[in-house]
Amino acid sequence: MTELAGSMLAEVSGNSLAILGASLGCGMAIIGASIGIGFIGGKSTEAIARQPQIGGRIVTAMIISAALIEGVTLFALVIGFLAIFWTKG
Amino acid sequence: MGCQMLHSVVLAELNPLRPVIAAPLFQFSVGGYEIVFSNHMLMVTVAAVILLVIIPLGARKKRLMPKGLQNLIESVCVFLREEVARPILGDNTDQFIFFVWTIFFFILTLNLLGMVPTESAYYLITGRENHFGGAAATNIWITGALASMTFILTHAAGIKRYGLLKYLSHLAPKVPLPILPLIYVLEIVSALVRPFALAIRLFANILAGHIILATFIGLILIFKSWFVVVPSIGAVIAMSFLELLVAFIQAYIFTLLSTLFISLALESEHG
Repeated sequence: MTELAGSMLAEVSGNSLAILGASLGCGMAIIGASIGIGFIGGKSTEAIARQPQIGGRIVTAMIISAALIEGVTLFALVIGFLAIFWTKG
Repeated sequence: MGCQMLHSVVLAELNPLRPVIAAPLFQFSVGGYEIVFSNHMLMVTVAAVILLVIIPLGARKKRLMPKGLQNLIESVCVFLREEVARPILGDNTDQFIFFVWTIFFFILTLNLLGMVPTESAYYLITGRENHFGGAAATNIWITGALASMTFILTHAAGIKRYGLLKYLSHLAPKVPLPILPLIYVLEIVSALVRPFALAIRLFANILAGHIILATFIGLILIFKSWFVVVPSIGAVIAMSFLELLVAFIQAYIFTLLSTLFISLALESEHG
């Protein structure tokens, strides 16, 4: 198992700083997305509690907003992938 | 004997990125160009064939009360037309509804086919390593092609309705003259960034989901212990449910945003 882990590390240890940067960047992007989507969830639950009969429309709006925010978060993931795997050469 | 059982049927691997990249299946040359047929292109073909066979099957007879497959397809189509297209497009619904239906069904079929484990099934049946299935939306070129179709359709629709110069002047709202160039540049940049955002959103969502699935299964190989099997398989089942939900949601979001962009291109400035 250690030689497998060693060979995996050897493939990517050339750009260790890029890996560190990408991991930290993805972590920070996840923090932002969780705060945003948690906010949406809380506000939409509040709105459903105020007026339950339009619950369906509120849930639709919540899903759309959550998907859009997640799309932006995954931009950060894609940039992280680029940072790790797109080395010079 | 336990080790032999582990080595004979292994459906996981250490590299979680291998199942999501395009694997070449065969090559053929056309007119001097070498075209490599990858498994993502195969999945696109399979999705197209499935849709071309199933949807006309559901549209054969006009019934007042549709049942079965016709009911399924018709209810999805009516939902897309009344809840997605008509509130956004208004009078232009009938002109663009075919594009909306096509994009939704195609992306949904691609995502759902990506959740079918064809490689593992083939390996279990025949015992040969292969790479026949896969989620085609994990290929940025395929999602980029879908997004560029939206891009071409929105601007072609706007140019056809208003003419080229009037459409280009519609891009900027009425602002005072000093900041008009800045607003114009901003609108051009936003019109160019939107298809990228569409493509990357679908690509990254499906890619992240499949990498998570492959990583959870690969944990069994990394730990090489029987105790990891039950939590890992449980996590994979839970994530697969989430991936099915994401498949529907991403198809819906792509369709909704494409409809929104078409309506933005078609709206009259003084409306």
